[in-house]
Amino acid sequence: SKWKESLADRSLARKPPSLMQLVYGDNSTSMNKGNDSSEDEENEGDFFMPKELIKQNIRDGLDDRMVDAEDCSKCAQLMSQKWDEKDNEEIRNRFVSGNLAKAALRNAL
Amino acid sequence: MGNKDDTGYKTLKGSKNFRQRLLLATLTSTPIIIEDIRTDETWPGLRNYEISLLRLFESVCDDFKVKINETGTKLKYKPGTIMGGRQHHPHDCHVSRSIGYYLEPLIVLCLFAKEPLTVRLKGITNDSKDPSVDTIKSAAFPILKRFGVDSEALGLKIESRGLPPNGGGEIVLSLPVVQTLTAVNWIDEGFVKKIRGVTFSTKVSSQFENSMIRAARGIINPLVSDVHIFTDHRSGPPAGNSPGYGISLVAETTSGCYISVDTAASHARDEDSAGLADDVKKDLMPPEDIGEGMAKVLLGEIAQSGVVDSTYQGLLFLLCALCPQDVSKVRVGKLSRHGIETLRSIKDFLDLKFVIKPDPDTQSVILKCIGCGMKNLSRKVS
Repeated sequence: SKWKESLADRSLARKPPSLMQLVYGDNSTSMNKGNDSSEDEENEGDFFMPKELIKQNIRDGLDDRMVDAEDCSKCAQLMSQKWDEKDNEEIRNRFVSGNLAKAALRNAL
Repeated sequence: MGNKDDTGYKTLKGSKNFRQRLLLATLTSTPIIIEDIRTDETWPGLRNYEISLLRLFESVCDDFKVKINETGTKLKYKPGTIMGGRQHHPHDCHVSRSIGYYLEPLIVLCLFAKEPLTVRLKGITNDSKDPSVDTIKSAAFPILKRFGVDSEALGLKIESRGLPPNGGGEIVLSLPVVQTLTAVNWIDEGFVKKIRGVTFSTKVSSQFENSMIRAARGIINPLVSDVHIFTDHRSGPPAGNSPGYGISLVAETTSGCYISVDTAASHARDEDSAGLADDVKKDLMPPEDIGEGMAKVLLGEIAQSGVVDSTYQGLLFLLCALCPQDVSKVRVGKLSRHGIETLRSIKDFLDLKFVIKPDPDTQSVILKCIGCGMKNLSRKVS
């Protein structure tokens, strides 16, 4: 229907930044910051920024200002990547007991 | 970030990435100044474990110069020559972090030493925060091997286990030197063919281990039949100073990738529970929960279909970057925060960017880079 079209267009226009930009912080990332520039402008007037707010901003993304982040390679392992029972079929193909042909397809890059 | 001032020092800010910065500064002989180390925190400045790491670096390097200001918020470091060799005195790794924290940079640094390293490290062998000595041996060593490090000469012996809060563990590490690494083309993650693991218990009943194994097998056995989980019960001096138990699991794939997870249950360190009353000791996580939890985390890591698990992404990227000027291509799962920070440090010090592309068919990521052409200049020619 018609109302869906504009939604689809909008989601297409909002292209996520590439991994390169996320890691190395390209100039072009400012493009997608443009969306919430109105908020930024409001804040610009305030010379002082509450510390909590700064912390909040930092938590939102991998920000360069996060200068004292903990140096730890395993930290989040337990929390973030927990396997879910739902993915049982998916995971089976990662084992020799699974459907090898299906999984082999993608290695034929 | 990372501007060089007139004196040739590279200036960095904050405590993040401390190990990679120190490592890369030493490997590239770049003098660095790190400013604003935890200036906004209640206890500003360098932590005990960071000082301990500096001392460890000092013991394997010659001509090592470091200056720290009174509050510990500023560090000036001028690297010397990486010597390696047989260390006659054991190094006390401060118990605020486990030995894995110290090993991660050390096993890369001393590949480029003058002589093969043998060192005895004391401290915590297993905890829930850093990779355990078990997975360093079973997952990180195979990664080194991929890059052409002589696996015969790699050794890690666990003489006694140590858990938080008091440690008391002891390991002996031996590490060969290389002339250069070899670039890899490593994008086939293969299929999991077997699972190996080890459980340990110190100063508690060995029954805890059986419970962990039973719970882990409950998850893993329906998927793969070749499962062996060994037990390592310790009592007396080889059990260190603190009670606890834990497990590490490693999945080996048909293409020779090793995906690892590990954890340990023990009483908290003093600083972690600083807010609580001294006498309150929380119960440890039950062994069944640990076994089942770690098996699920392992499946989560396997599902990401990288050639290494998320813990060792940083190590993998570092090794790729330190290769000769050849193309390396690797596949990892979702980029971890530590992995991303490592990529940024590599760019800072080596001026080397990876080409990072998501693989549309899986949730994995493919990274490509041309090595910086690192050569071991201090190695003795025999």
